[in-house]
Amino acid sequence: MISFQHTVIGYQRPLISIENLTLEAGKVYALLGLNGSGKSTLLKTLAAQTPPLGGALTLNHYPVAQLAKDGNLRAQQIAFVSSRFDGIEHLSVFEYVALGRIPYLTVFGKVSAEDQQMVSETLKELGLTHLTHKRTKELSDGEKQLVSLARAFVQDTPVLLLDEPSSFLDFLNRENLLLALLKWVSEGQRCVLLSSHDIDLCLEHNLPLLALAGGQIQELLALDKKGVVSVLLKGAAH
Amino acid sequence: MNRKGLLLLLLALVLLLSCLLHIHLTEVSSSSAAQANVLWWEFRFPRLMSALLAGAGLSLSGLLMQNLFRNPMAGPYVLGINSGASLTTALLMLGGFPWMLHTIGLVGSSLLGAFLAAAFMFFVSWRVQQTTGLLLVGLMFASFTGSIESVLQSWASPEQVKQFFLWNMGSLQQLSAAQVPWLLTLFTAAVLWSLLLIRSLNAFVLGQDQAFQLGVRTQRVRLSMLAITALLAGSITAYCGPIAFVGLAIPNLGRQLLRTQDHLLLILFCLLFGALFLLACDILSIYLDSYFSLPINVLTSLIGAPYIAYLVLRRS
Repeated sequence: MISFQHTVIGYQRPLISIENLTLEAGKVYALLGLNGSGKSTLLKTLAAQTPPLGGALTLNHYPVAQLAKDGNLRAQQIAFVSSRFDGIEHLSVFEYVALGRIPYLTVFGKVSAEDQQMVSETLKELGLTHLTHKRTKELSDGEKQLVSLARAFVQDTPVLLLDEPSSFLDFLNRENLLLALLKWVSEGQRCVLLSSHDIDLCLEHNLPLLALAGGQIQELLALDKKGVVSVLLKGAAH
Repeated sequence: MNRKGLLLLLLALVLLLSCLLHIHLTEVSSSSAAQANVLWWEFRFPRLMSALLAGAGLSLSGLLMQNLFRNPMAGPYVLGINSGASLTTALLMLGGFPWMLHTIGLVGSSLLGAFLAAAFMFFVSWRVQQTTGLLLVGLMFASFTGSIESVLQSWASPEQVKQFFLWNMGSLQQLSAAQVPWLLTLFTAAVLWSLLLIRSLNAFVLGQDQAFQLGVRTQRVRLSMLAITALLAGSITAYCGPIAFVGLAIPNLGRQLLRTQDHLLLILFCLLFGALFLLACDILSIYLDSYFSLPINVLTSLIGAPYIAYLVLRRS
């Protein structure tokens, strides 16, 4: 679903180089790395916001350069959830989640009955129906994060990227978020990549781990927490 | 949706009635039908159109600025776009550049000033990420242009100063019959252009990064918003003088009453209520005219400033 080939990633100067890596559909990948290791830059590159400095990078067979140019294509292929959603004044949860349908709307932004039903169903699936008419400013941190997940689900893209989605969540909401993601990838040709500092949570759910350290990405197989930490530290020491 | 649609419909109705009232109030007895005809086309109709177009246009440009800078306190006035128009107009009226008056005229120079100010603010918005910083730069810019205008006034003849002073107070009676089609054309173009941006405006509510992820050509939309604002604020300022607070207050009132960020509804509200607000101010000034004469700018500030202060107090 996401494929790197001799890809060089960075902002103005090279930061990460990836020789050969393919992320498959049907999986939730966890991107681990210390602060400053380049997780955000990698996510921004995948989101087509920052062009790669060299090599090839495709998402669902589309070269990232094409996705950067073609807005509707990009928005129908990649959804992005940032680490924090602050809520917006006068914007209800329903309106906010419906914004995820924007790539499918005409210029006047009219949301169709089908789109509205999709929003309601997604909210229901995430157990958020009771928030439908609430203002986004009035939500708790956990609710805000789950609601932005709903917005990304409604965008209905094969690739979903999340930047440290669990940072502001309590253990119960972290669990809910991860279960929702696992269910979502199981329902179609979809791939999720989330960056995280929560090694325990990722190990607990047996997520395939990608360690970003020393400008390299390494797939970690069958390691415990101690093993993961040592890989991250060793890479950073280089 | 139904409640919101009803509100807009009601607004349209009140606006229509206010137009009729305005037409009734500006009527003066005339000796012949021909004279009445001249009075209507030369004075009463342009005054009505000034109120409608300036109110609607300034509100719409305020809505766009608030969306672009993601700040409810933004507006063409606060961001210095009016100031740019005001400065070039001052140069024209006070600086004695007769060649400017002949080549590009009042409207051209005002539009030029508005576009230059918008471009300047656009450049500043790249460097200054925080909106408070940006608004401060806008206010400083307004203060700076004000000072230059003062210097120009000290050089100019009393006649020129008086002309500029009157323009600066804002008036709905300066638009001439021949100018109505011009203002109407610019206004219509700006409104149509912003209707084509509705989907992008809705996405911009989430910030420019998220708008990009939702497929919006952010750079193009940013430029479009500034161009529309300069077009509206520039042409309205040229014909009616700088009118304060309409662009700032009306969009805020719209979000508060409609409780939405759907820009189709907000644009309609701004057009209807903006027109109604300025028309009501003018009707009020006609009523008060027998006691004392109030410039339109004074009225909009008397009503707009306390409302904005209330909004700020409520938020903090």
